[in-house]
Amino acid sequence: MSIMEQDRTDPGAARARLARVLERAVPGHVDVEAVSPLSGGASSLTYAVDAVREGQAWRLILQVTPPGQTVAGMSRAVQAALQTRVGKAGVRVAEVIAVLTPQDDLGEGFVMAFVEGETLAPRWLRDNAYAGARAAMLADCAESLARIHAIGAEAVADLRLPVLTPQAQLRALREIYDDCEGAVPVFELAFAMLGESLPEDGNLALVHGDFRSGNLIVGDTGLAAVVDWELAHIGHPLLDIGWLSTNTWRFGQTQMPVGGFAEREAFYAAYEASGGMKVDPELALAFEMLGSLRWGVMCMQMGAAHLSGEVASVERAAIARRVSETEADLLYMLKHGAL
Amino acid sequence: MRSRIEAADLVEAAAAFLKEAESELSGRTAFHAKVAANALAIVVRELREHPSEAEAAALGALLPDVAAEARVAEACARIRAGEWTAETPGLLDALEAGVRARLAVDNPRFSTLQRLRGA
Repeated sequence: MSIMEQDRTDPGAARARLARVLERAVPGHVDVEAVSPLSGGASSLTYAVDAVREGQAWRLILQVTPPGQTVAGMSRAVQAALQTRVGKAGVRVAEVIAVLTPQDDLGEGFVMAFVEGETLAPRWLRDNAYAGARAAMLADCAESLARIHAIGAEAVADLRLPVLTPQAQLRALREIYDDCEGAVPVFELAFAMLGESLPEDGNLALVHGDFRSGNLIVGDTGLAAVVDWELAHIGHPLLDIGWLSTNTWRFGQTQMPVGGFAEREAFYAAYEASGGMKVDPELALAFEMLGSLRWGVMCMQMGAAHLSGEVASVERAAIARRVSETEADLLYMLKHGAL
Repeated sequence: MRSRIEAADLVEAAAAFLKEAESELSGRTAFHAKVAANALAIVVRELREHPSEAEAAALGALLPDVAAEARVAEACARIRAGEWTAETPGLLDALEAGVRARLAVDNPRFSTLQRLRGA
């Protein structure tokens, strides 16, 4: 049962329990006035929390997996610990305020600070109002990635994050593709080509795993926070740069390959200047190809989830028709080397 | 004057209604109405353009002895077995014809479709 459903039956009780959680974290009296859902996935829910701390309005975000449900990937407690740790390493993230315990009876999750800014990438990528912020995004994102990757695997060993070499990532995608009974010739060519061009290991580091324009909160002066750390793992640093540069996340700003806001050479140089590894441009392009293949397979997977009745929705069904977009992207790369 | 209503005409009319209804809805329902209208627009284009026939026809030059409906699967099998690669003469062009036909149905305004057409 989610906090939202509990709210329906006993609106005050869940809010009061959440207020006690917050009082554990900070001194003084806390009231929770409203908890409103922002988005709902199958296994995770995000809420905006309007709290009052010592008479002052206090805006927070609650991310929670409802009690009784299991999380397929990273536990919320690990996510909170990781988010705190990368924050200490200088990466811009929302500050974690409190982690829920089973006794709180609110589900598995944590509360973090609300970060002001735009989360809709098409808006900050295109609107004139964000021209200044966009100009700062190259340096901000390059620095964030360099700092994340500099943390290293040893420093997060206790969090037991999955280790995924590029080839392991490719094999995992192939498995999903086969499970979906995929029959896409362009994907087959990409699988074959990446089987040759991606390294079997390399210098693995902590990577965000889902670093794309849609997971960045952008304020007036640039990057305000990197969100959604659920797919963080020990992997190849270029995975993050390739995924950020995947055409899908440029939202039509194709002349700016990195995230829709930066050119490749300038971004690689800024990443290296911030302490990131030397970027091999050819290999970075292979990771862009992996990005398009990954999004294509994810679209197929959403179609399969709809057909199986697991998550039947017109949105899921329609997303499966975006497979042809990734086919076009891959084909363009196969023909011209880069998109 | 044409009076026979084809399947595509019916679906097009339903899509137009959903677009109209969207303005009276809000939040999640409005969003799903928009997605549903877009889905119906895909159906309309598919009924009129038959993209899988175009794809099978494009692969016909490479697989003349394979039945049209089995050509995509056969192409997959040959690539997977390493018999065909990106360098196989005519393969990328044939695949591009199929992808362009399907993308013209799924999302005709997609940027890479324009770039493929211009290249």
